[in-house]
Formats: sequence, structure tokens, C-alpha cells
Amino acid sequence: MAEKAVQRETVLSLRETIAQIENRRLPGIVRAAKAADPAGFRRKRGEASRNKVLPLGVPELDDVLDGGLPLEGMTEIRNAETRDAGAAAGFVTALAVLCQRMKKEKGHLAPILWISQTFASREAGLPYAPGLKSYGLDIERFLFVSVRTVKDALWIAEAALSVPVFAAVILEIRGNPDCLALSESRRLHVRARTGGVPLLVFRQAGEAEASSAFFRLQIKPAFAGERPLPDGSMLCGSIGHPAFHVLVEKSRAYASADIFLEWNAHDRRFYPLEQHQSVAPPADGQPANSVDPFSASVGRSSGADSMGRLLAFARAS
Amino acid sequence: MRLVALDTLAERVGLKRGQGAAEARAMCPSLDVIIDDPAADRAFLEGLADWCDRYTPLVALDGKDGLFLDITGCAHLHGGEKALVDDVLSRLFLLGIEARAVISSSAGLSWAVARYGDAAVIRPEDAERFLAPLPVAALRLPAETTALLERVGLKQVGDLLQAPRAPLARRFGPSLLLRLDQARGHEDEPLSPRLPVPSFSAERRLAEPLQEEEHILELARHLSNDVRLSLERHGEGGRLFELLLIRVDGRVFRVQAHAAVPLNDADRIAALFRERLQAVHDDLDAGYGFEILRLSVLRSERLDPAQEDFSGIPDESQPLAAFADKLCARFGSDCLTFAILAESHLPERSGGFAPLTDVAAVMEPRPVDEKACPENRPLRIFTHPELVEATAEVPEGAPRSFNWRKTQYRVARAEGPERIAAEWWIDGEDHPTRDYFRVEDQEGRRFWLFREGLYGRETSSPRWFMHGVFA
Repeated sequence: MAEKAVQRETVLSLRETIAQIENRRLPGIVRAAKAADPAGFRRKRGEASRNKVLPLGVPELDDVLDGGLPLEGMTEIRNAETRDAGAAAGFVTALAVLCQRMKKEKGHLAPILWISQTFASREAGLPYAPGLKSYGLDIERFLFVSVRTVKDALWIAEAALSVPVFAAVILEIRGNPDCLALSESRRLHVRARTGGVPLLVFRQAGEAEASSAFFRLQIKPAFAGERPLPDGSMLCGSIGHPAFHVLVEKSRAYASADIFLEWNAHDRRFYPLEQHQSVAPPADGQPANSVDPFSASVGRSSGADSMGRLLAFARAS
Repeated sequence: MRLVALDTLAERVGLKRGQGAAEARAMCPSLDVIIDDPAADRAFLEGLADWCDRYTPLVALDGKDGLFLDITGCAHLHGGEKALVDDVLSRLFLLGIEARAVISSSAGLSWAVARYGDAAVIRPEDAERFLAPLPVAALRLPAETTALLERVGLKQVGDLLQAPRAPLARRFGPSLLLRLDQARGHEDEPLSPRLPVPSFSAERRLAEPLQEEEHILELARHLSNDVRLSLERHGEGGRLFELLLIRVDGRVFRVQAHAAVPLNDADRIAALFRERLQAVHDDLDAGYGFEILRLSVLRSERLDPAQEDFSGIPDESQPLAAFADKLCARFGSDCLTFAILAESHLPERSGGFAPLTDVAAVMEPRPVDEKACPENRPLRIFTHPELVEATAEVPEGAPRSFNWRKTQYRVARAEGPERIAAEWWIDGEDHPTRDYFRVEDQEGRRFWLFREGLYGRETSSPRWFMHGVFA
């Protein structure tokens, strides 16, 4: 009997180790065994691991992300084309605002570091301070570095992740450079985990590529809602809060998700887009500026685009 | 072509300055004529001046062919004045440079004797004895004054020393007496050193030259320890450090490193140079090794010693400062920037980035600046607005469709216009007004476009520009 218990304990600890290596949530049986832990030795650790995510306030997205944005490690956000960079930058900035606010609630004033490849910020535009401020960012604590090569950007990111001052580090690169391959992303990911800093890799106009990030989200533009009027109705033909179409390309969830969000800069939080008002083409009473009827954002093709080329083979052994 | 300079051998043959090159070749067929290159001469002289830093930090350039070294308080470090002159001359000889050097109590006297006389060290009481037999040209006078003096028969400085001063001043102007007094040491003559004198510095001379970067860094750490002691004594911390490396063959390298906050910690000063040396790696050619290393503090600021509290929680700006230093050492001091807002209506002027100078301010809570920041500004902005081809209603309608970066976009919704007039106090009165529109295309991308010029009043064919993208 005792022998069996010891064996069981060994298996459980091995599974736990594997889960830790793979960065996964504990498998059900281990979790059950831990929950049954009568002395409560491990309870504290479990709680600590729960604290390491930042809930984004949208249940649908939080479910896919295992509870929220991982606060220790790398998350990749990409967009397919340069002209979509506005939406992706908006999503990244919104995450940065949330990270900064969380730190502030804990009593730390933490800056955001945005590292950008010069080429990337020239193609898609420089971050604009008044815009960032009206977006909800504390721009007195916003540091921006622009460097010529990806290698330099990686070096800065690595240096930044090893100092525990930043609320979030954003690394903006363009395309799929060779010097940010699987091993480099692994290195950054490990550095971010030990440093306890969220690293947001913002891949502009890049293809989906195997990396060590926890999650990879593709951001597409989405139709914004309309501006609410004081009496509760909506101002026809106006452009309201920024909206995003988030495609979860890499996650531990079974199916890839297709989520529509909007960012409310005033409340500094995300809302699911349907909850406010899904945009439908104004059927009657066409406003002067609206020219063509356009399709509603709902009912579009969902799921990640099929990928054209093989990026990494499954591990053979 | 005329001769401008001659070496000893050519002088011995009897050539003169100002002589035609063809005439000189006729006198001496084996003459080797090199085209004069003042810029290269200047660069070489500055290289020599750098090299002279090994004797004294006060080195001044003198015309095209001379250097002044202020060795006040330095001579004893090199075994006395005579030994110093011998050392300078023998080292220069080994470098292949023919030079003359004189030590005296005034710059003018040294200048005169080095060019026209023959002595190594002149004591103050011997000044007039050495000065008297020299020609008047030794007084650094304008050429016409010298010619005038020679015409009236005052050929030697000794003649002027005897003569009454008042008539001399009346006849030849005050500059003659000034130069005379400067040469005698009666009048002070300030030298303007090429480089500012560092307030703190530490130096190491090596018997065996260093080549490895590791060794240089190790030595830099030792030197920073020495500097730290004097910084601590004065209650200061350095903001700008310079590591001077003198190579065996006389080439001098200067490596500067900025610190984000005043530093007096040896490890952190050394860490600055670790990054910096990696950045300048290719320019720093060790050759046969470096024989002298000197670490100087070029700029220092008051540093109040802070006592670490018992909780052991370090000051939060410290790691950020260390990070900023690391970055600036590698990529230059204006690499790390922070966002600034400016009071301007024009979008490109109202926001930007400036190099981070005050690290502590980033971490400190400050009263929230509730300046009215305009709503509806894009997240990203193009530094140079990009020209687009747009179709829009005249005179003031929103664009219906536009062509940006070779792609056609159809506008689904538009908000605007927001009219922003030019800042006439900067741009002038005829700068066109802009009408900004916030538009959403048929796939949900939001852009910020503007029309330059009011239709009919300012222009008849207004151009459209893409200025930014919204989230």
C-alpha cells in the first residue's frame, strides 16, 4: 500500500515537472491531487501562479488565454499587412495600458518601453504622444527606442527584461527576420519569465512563424461602433471607440477563436463589441458621408487563415 | 609652385622658403618635393598634441607647427625638467619626428629660443641673456613690423632691450612692447588648452603593453576605484567619463561614456566602459598594445550620499539608470527617448520624443498634467505626411475614396473636418490651412487624412495627405 502511494507521488511529481517544462496548466489528475493536499503546503504557490496573468475583462478572450495576458513571458501579436498596423498598435498599446494600470494599483509607477526597428516605425508611423495619451497611456512613463537592426533591438529587449522596472516591454519588428528565430525567441521568453516582465512582440506585416511565445494573436481591423449620445442612442455615421478583430492563432485552447473587441479609453478596459452595439449598415436614413453599404462585421469568415508554408517540423523525438 | 617648408638637409643645401620649386630643383636635382596639405599637417599636429597628453593635460596648439605644453607641477613626475625635455625629444625622434623643445618660464621665450636659439632649459634669471642675441623675428611680430625694425637697424632683440620704451611704442605700436614683455616673462600670456582639464583623473603606465579588451576593462575598473576615492572626497559623482588610451606607437584613443545619473561606484563606471568598448570595438585597434591608460571625469555633479535603508529595497530609479547607461554607451546618448507634449496645434509639432536626461523623473509621481489634450488623435503618425490621391466633394467634403501607397481605399464613414490653421508666427502667413478627416475604410481601418488648403480661397486644386493611423 505504502509502496503504491510512493509510486503515485512520483508519477504526480513527474507530471508536474513536465507540465512546468511545457508551461502548461497542471493536468486534471495532478490538480485534483493538489487540491486534495490536506496540509496546504502548496497552496501559496498555486495562488502565486494565478497572479501571473492579467485578466483582460472579456471572458471569451480570457478563456482562450488561460485567464488573461501572461505577465511573465512572451506574447506575440502580429498583423498581416502594414496598413493594419494601426489596429495592432492599438491592441498592443491597450495591453500596455492595462499592465501599467495594474502596476500602479500595486503602488509602482512603472514605465513602458517600446523598442522599435527604425524601418518598422517609419513604414507604419511613429507612436504619437497626444494619441497615446488620449488612448489612456501614462506618457510620462513611456520610453521609446528606435534602432536600425533587429539584432540591436533584440539586445535592448534582453537588457530591458533583466531589469525589474518596466511594466511591459514592447518589441516591434517588421516581417520575419532570420535573427529572430525559434532559439532567439526562446531566449527572450526565458529572460522574460525570469525577469517577471511581460514581453509583447509586435510583428508588423509578418507571417505566422513558430516561436516560443505563450500565445500568438493576429489583429485585424474591425468596424468601430458609433458614438453614444447622452440620451442613450447612437450618433449615426460617427466613428466610436477603437475596435479590433482578434484571431487567436496559437493557444492551448482546442479551437482557434475569433473575437471582436473594442477599447474604451475612458474606462481603460476592453469590451466585447457585440455587447455595446454591433455595427450594422444604416439601412434607412443614410448619413451624408456614408457612401456604400458595407457588410456587417458579424458573420465574416472565422478562424486563422490557412498557412502557405511549413515553418517548423514537429519534433521527432 | 613655391617651397613652404624645408627639412634640415634641404636647409643645409641652401634652399630657402618661398623659393620656386623649379629653381630649387635646378639647384638640387635629387630634391623630393611633396605637395603641401595643410589639413593633413593640422591633423598630424593634433595627433601629436594628443600624444603630449602623456606629459600634461594642458596642451595648446601654436600655429601650424608648434605645441605649447604647460608643465606647471608636472616636471617632477618625469624626473625633472631636463629629463622631461630629453624624454620628449628622444620619443619623438623614435617616432621619426624632428623636433626642438625648450623649457622656460614664459611661452614667448620658449617659442623664440626653440626656433632661433639653442638651449634646453632656461632659468628665469637667464631669460634676457638668452633673448638678447636672437633676431627680432623671434618676437612673434607681424611681418611688416619685423621688416621695419630691421630697416632701422634694430636687428637683434638685445637692441630693443636697451632702447627706451616710450619712443619704441610711439614708433612701432604697443604690440612690440607687449611681445617683448611676454618674452621676458613680465607680461602673463594665457595658453588656451585644446581640451578641458578633467577635474578628476587616474592614470596607469604599463611596462608591458595591453592588448586584450578584458585586460583593459580590468585596468579600467582599478582606475575607476582610484577616481571613486577622489570623487567621494569631494561629494561628487561623474556624469561623463573618458578613458584615454595611448598606444605604443603614439596613437591616442579617447573613449567617452555618459552616465544617466552621477556615479561614484567603481563597478558601474567600469560597466559603462564594457558596453562602450564593445560598441567601438572596430575603431579601437590595439595594434602592439596600449602603454598608458587614463580615466578622467570630464563632467561631474553633486552626489549626496544616500544611506541604504535596512529593508534593503534599492532605490527604484537605480536599475533604470543602469539600463539607460548600458543603452547609451552602446547606441549613443540620444537613443533612449521619452514622449513629450508641446503646446502647438499642428499635430507634428505637438508631440514628439526627446532624449531621456532625467531618469529619476520617470519613476517619481508627479502632479498629473491635465492639460487639455485633443481627443481623436491617431496612435501612429507619419513624420512626413504622405501624398494621396483622393476624390472628395468640393469645397469641403470628406473624401469618398483615396489611393494610398498604390492601393485604392473606399471610405465607409468619415468624421470631420477638424480645421487646423497654420502657425503664422512660424510658417509665415501664406501657409495653407488643413482640414483633417477621420475616415474608416470598408474593412474597418481608420485613417487620418487632411486636405491642404481651403478650396477656392487658398488653392483651386487642394492636395490630400495621409497623416496617421488610428487604432
